[in-house]
Amino acid sequence: MGSLKIGKMIMRSLGRKPATLMYPVIPREWKERTRGHISIDMGTCILCGICGKKCPTDAITVDRDAKTWSIKRMQCIQCSCCVEVCPKKCLVNEATYTTPAVYKIVDTFEKPDNPEADSAGGSLKCDDTCVFCGICAKKCPQAAITVVREDKKWEVDDDKCTRCGLCIEGCPKKSLKIE
Amino acid sequence: MAKRTVIPFGPQHPVLPEPIHLDLVIEDETVVEAIPSIGFIHRGLEKLVEKNEWPEMVYVIERVCGICSFGHGWGYCKSVEGNLGVTVPLRAEYLRTIWHELGRIHSHLLWLGLLADAFGFESLFMHSWRLREKVLDMFEETTGGRVIFSVCKVGGVRKDVSDEKLAEISAELNGMIPELKELTDVFIEDMSVKNRLTGVGVLSKEEVTELCAVGPVARASGVASDVRLDGHGAYAELGFEPCVEQDGDSMARCKVRIKELFQSIELIEKAAKSIPEGDIDVKVKGNPSGEFVGRMEQPRGEAYYYSKGNGSKFLERIRVRTPTNANIPALVKMLQGCDLADVPVLVLTIDPCISCTER
Repeated sequence: MGSLKIGKMIMRSLGRKPATLMYPVIPREWKERTRGHISIDMGTCILCGICGKKCPTDAITVDRDAKTWSIKRMQCIQCSCCVEVCPKKCLVNEATYTTPAVYKIVDTFEKPDNPEADSAGGSLKCDDTCVFCGICAKKCPQAAITVVREDKKWEVDDDKCTRCGLCIEGCPKKSLKIE
Repeated sequence: MAKRTVIPFGPQHPVLPEPIHLDLVIEDETVVEAIPSIGFIHRGLEKLVEKNEWPEMVYVIERVCGICSFGHGWGYCKSVEGNLGVTVPLRAEYLRTIWHELGRIHSHLLWLGLLADAFGFESLFMHSWRLREKVLDMFEETTGGRVIFSVCKVGGVRKDVSDEKLAEISAELNGMIPELKELTDVFIEDMSVKNRLTGVGVLSKEEVTELCAVGPVARASGVASDVRLDGHGAYAELGFEPCVEQDGDSMARCKVRIKELFQSIELIEKAAKSIPEGDIDVKVKGNPSGEFVGRMEQPRGEAYYYSKGNGSKFLERIRVRTPTNANIPALVKMLQGCDLADVPVLVLTIDPCISCTER
């Protein structure tokens, strides 16, 4: 038993720098894996909308007509779910936090016009090895594929299709390709 | 007989980080009865299972609590994995165990700080939290988050940690031991702390068993109950023995948590040395269609995770029973007959987490 057992610790603290940091005046050191904020490379993005559908907090909105991708910064929980599901890997969770704000920030990014790249995408084709299992239709985030097993019918709506490639990955017979 | 008075304690009280309300019936300065009431921060997280697909629900479940968030994520995954009959790779189980034990260290350090704050020892509170900060940095380095980690998923974990990094973390934790020892010695040996904790809020072994208390509250009264004994995760390989004290008072509850701090460092060291190579996740196919209950030993005690699936992407029901919920009857019992001045310390000794309790 004793009193002032913490004495040594306190004396050492007197000669030490504070354990806290005057953030954000003094910038902090970011760890390599820190999940700070989501950033997007709009040049690679195909506006498939999977990130928006999978987002647990509905923070991401993808508008295919206006060719925009927007994120509600205050709603995003930095879970990296969108980064994982993105088929083109154009989303990155960067280490730095966004600046503090007094209103709810919505960041909108526009897809740059690049007609050559758009037309070079080709369209989805299915060859005769297809067994009409319908997995591609289930996988399609835009519901662009229609499969009717009885009539042996396979159809794709080119306007809806984003060429994300999820159907190609899921096809058990490897019958699908973009050309 | 002295006049009886009812004093409301909480939901807003300097000692309570989260809202619980107690009606204290007192005679002079002695508490005769305590009537608890909760329901101030119910968020309806269990109901969200109807809107979120089961793989995404783990992000919600992690947010049940900001302190034991990794354990909650693991408990949910364990329940759904049991439902689907998935076997998780051993490397993932080791990583989960390491993160869970790191979570225990940071939770116990937080609790020690809060306890010091409850009996008015401000500098002890600051030093406990200073050491806790180092553990949060380790979490950030390995998972990317300081409080919410988002690394646990059904079928394994999302991020791998290299063996070198694990050895580094283990060495850093071992380097913290002298400072931790110095800090915890203040709790065990300082006279002013002893005066506030020794012999206060005694619970006997029989009372603990009868009231179904869990976690450090039960272990401080000599009941060696710990879910980690069933060997989930990597605990079977690491060889685990629960920390038990016999006195049943506030000091015993403090000692159990202090022992667990050092035990967790040991477990992490063992796990970092013996972690096997291999995959960190398995591909999960299908949707859950049965019922399953998973149990976890959270820093505060035993927690239950029940999941019921109907073959669709949305689970039908999730139920979480948290350790604070189980410890409230024990708290009410230990408050009977205590001094009014000891109430804040006694409420703190069960390590109450009301957000967990109400979800």
